[in-house]
Amino acid sequence: MDWTALWLSMRLAGWTVAILLPVAVFAGRFLAYRNFGGKVLVEALVMLPLVLPPTVFGFYLLVAFGANSSIGQFWSATFGHQLVFSFEGLVVASVIFNLPFAIQPAQRGFESVPVDVREAAFCCGMSPLRSLWRVELPLAWPGLMTAMVLTFAHTLGEFGIVLMVGGSIPGETKTIAIAIYDRVQGFDDQAAATMSTVLVAISLFTIAVTYWLSARVGRRLS
Amino acid sequence: MKLTLSRRAILAAALSALVGASPMTGLALDAPVIAAASDLQFAVAKVAQAFQAETGHEIRLSFGSTGNFARQIREGAPFQALMAADEKFIANLHADGFTADEGDLYAVGRIVIMVPHGSNLRPDSTLDNLAEMLAAGQITRFAIANPDHAPYGMRARESLIFRGIWDDLQRVMVLGENVSQAAQFALSGSAEGGIIAYSLALAPEVAPRGTFALIPAEWHQPLRQRMALLKDAGPVAKAFYAYMKEPAAREIMERYGFALPEGE
Amino acid sequence: MALEVMVKAATPIPLDLAFRVEPGELLALVGHSGSGKTTLLRTIAGLWRPETARVQVGGTTWLDTGAGIAVPPHRRRVGMVFQSYALFPHMTAAQNVASAIDHLPQSERWPEAERLLDLINLHDLGGRKPQQLSGGQQQRVAVARALARRPVALLLDEPFSAVDRATREKLYAEIVALRAHLSMPVVLVTHDVNEAQLLADRMVVIEAGTMVAEGPTGTVMSDPRALRAMGIREAAAMVPATIDRHDSDGMTRLTTSAGPLWLPNVDGAPGTRVRVRIMAHEVLLSRARPEGLSAQNILPVHVIDLQSSDGLAVMVRLGFGEDTILARITRRAAQSLALQPGDQIHAIFKSMSVARDHITAGGATTPATR
Repeated sequence: MDWTALWLSMRLAGWTVAILLPVAVFAGRFLAYRNFGGKVLVEALVMLPLVLPPTVFGFYLLVAFGANSSIGQFWSATFGHQLVFSFEGLVVASVIFNLPFAIQPAQRGFESVPVDVREAAFCCGMSPLRSLWRVELPLAWPGLMTAMVLTFAHTLGEFGIVLMVGGSIPGETKTIAIAIYDRVQGFDDQAAATMSTVLVAISLFTIAVTYWLSARVGRRLS
Repeated sequence: MKLTLSRRAILAAALSALVGASPMTGLALDAPVIAAASDLQFAVAKVAQAFQAETGHEIRLSFGSTGNFARQIREGAPFQALMAADEKFIANLHADGFTADEGDLYAVGRIVIMVPHGSNLRPDSTLDNLAEMLAAGQITRFAIANPDHAPYGMRARESLIFRGIWDDLQRVMVLGENVSQAAQFALSGSAEGGIIAYSLALAPEVAPRGTFALIPAEWHQPLRQRMALLKDAGPVAKAFYAYMKEPAAREIMERYGFALPEGE
Repeated sequence: MALEVMVKAATPIPLDLAFRVEPGELLALVGHSGSGKTTLLRTIAGLWRPETARVQVGGTTWLDTGAGIAVPPHRRRVGMVFQSYALFPHMTAAQNVASAIDHLPQSERWPEAERLLDLINLHDLGGRKPQQLSGGQQQRVAVARALARRPVALLLDEPFSAVDRATREKLYAEIVALRAHLSMPVVLVTHDVNEAQLLADRMVVIEAGTMVAEGPTGTVMSDPRALRAMGIREAAAMVPATIDRHDSDGMTRLTTSAGPLWLPNVDGAPGTRVRVRIMAHEVLLSRARPEGLSAQNILPVHVIDLQSSDGLAVMVRLGFGEDTILARITRRAAQSLALQPGDQIHAIFKSMSVARDHITAGGATTPATR
């Protein structure tokens, strides 16, 4: 059982969720309530990481953030080490490829708030920000929770992109998914089995929470 | 907005995950990372253990295919040393200014044909049985490391070409990312066998799973395994590098089937 | 502080109208679905911005597309009751009301919310969530919430459409009672002409986005163009009356300026002032006072004028004591009676022809008929 790798995966997932939570709130809300030309395109772009093969995605990330890119060079000049092959690089990649998992359920959550309830909030004197805090978030939070839970679980399991962008540096970029891969290659089936069981348990827990939350939203709206 | 128990719990878990400090593991996160070819998976892990026991210093090891590591190093991967399975990669990196110096030859490796228990294939040094079964259409899968970037895969290909069965084996060939994965494929039971590193075949974790035979060294280019410190290598990496040349380390390497260079 | 509205737009529905509502006045916007009345209300509230519009309350401009002024809804002191009530489902009734009280310091908000709940007779139900309240109760919470802001204009978007008839009657009575406390202009959007006639001082009839008629309720209700838009069978007049006594057989005697009225089962203690809606098509006319008729209501009236509303029928305006009623009879009938302005005749209608929800409490604050 590679505890370092598990902890690293949890940290990666935690940071991803922390960064994506405000993104999910504002982007999800924006997409739920605004109609504009090109909205379909924006929604498709948000969903893109979902359908793109992880290796393709990893390749483009390497091109964009690698040692030969302007972003990569800026990063290493500022921080002294490369963005790729570092934990921070994984966080950047993870935030990007989790966008659909974070934004979509959040958008659905905000869409579940009836339009007239929002308008009533405005007519009660609540500014959009106050309405967000007092009316929309309390009603949309199951969608947000689903978004965060899915993002967390998805990050724990991500393999291809992490391997391409992070390498497999113990304690830095060797996540538990990679550790499992590594243990199989090391003929250590027991460790691979243990870690796999842990991941399955976390995934099942995630699905259960998501279903429970969806049922809650369903009950509230009926 | 009330914070129900479940929301608080998840928030707490998320927040604690951010703290980053890793209380549960013993891994020192400032230990240097050393990239090592997959054939060294068991041997060098043992050496690292001995190194830690003797000096108290820890290192972190990353195993994979030599070619992959060379590419990653060119892209800025933070390894402090590379223990390659083929000296050509070290030479190229040195020519491009990534290594501290030309490095040292630390071992010469061998390849073997290995088959899992219960396989119809019999391992022999001449690969005769393999050729027979291949001609009879009785080979469904045969594993080697990827010859594009793994030195052990390159040598496997050379010996198969030498033996004249490379073309015929193409249809049933399975390529491992590195020689460890090739071994895993070869011994999984889904293949009749494969060509893997001698050091892996000798490892206690692997040996019980099948039988093997050494492939004649004349059938392929030698596996001259060279290691080098990379630019910015720290004192611990340098210490380990030096340790590799010491008797204790050399003895471990010999146990895993490596031929050792004479005091180069 | 009067409310002035002007709107001109092509989408989503063509709109072209302008009107004014005085403080304390209730104006009904009447029209069929799709006529644009809800869009108009939303424009006043700030939830919709047409191409060309101006909305002003007193001296404050809320919207002026020409001058580039558009105050967002949360900064307009407007109280809006939505058709679906739009109560916040995660808050109790009291919290719903309190959420609109932003003009008072924290400590005073709760007592104010309680006061408003009392005003609409929901005192004990403040702790319930909207799902636990009946339609009528939810509607009242919505009204209380709209009033909590001390709005300078109150807007009601078909607020009674979702409740059953019996509840609606009670709610009409409450709105009428509430009017005594309302000093701001009130705009009521409805497709129910009965509702408009019962509650409104002035009416605007909208058809396909344009004003077909505008004015005091009584005038509009006898305007042929308005009646064509609303449906000719809606022609009616409101008559003020006072409850005199309830007889044991269920009939109630009311006094009007033209004489006694007998209606079944009117709610209210003797002395209560009410207004009664008498449908024009239910009124018969007779030169001589008829004998042996089952109708209980036979009252002396005089003919004011006759108008042809279409080829078949004639609308007769009749002086009913100090008030006015309408009678819609066929042209043949009018000719056979040879009716002339000034004629003294009798108006007859059944007690049964006045539905329960055609009676509302209160003398009007402004004359409902003229």
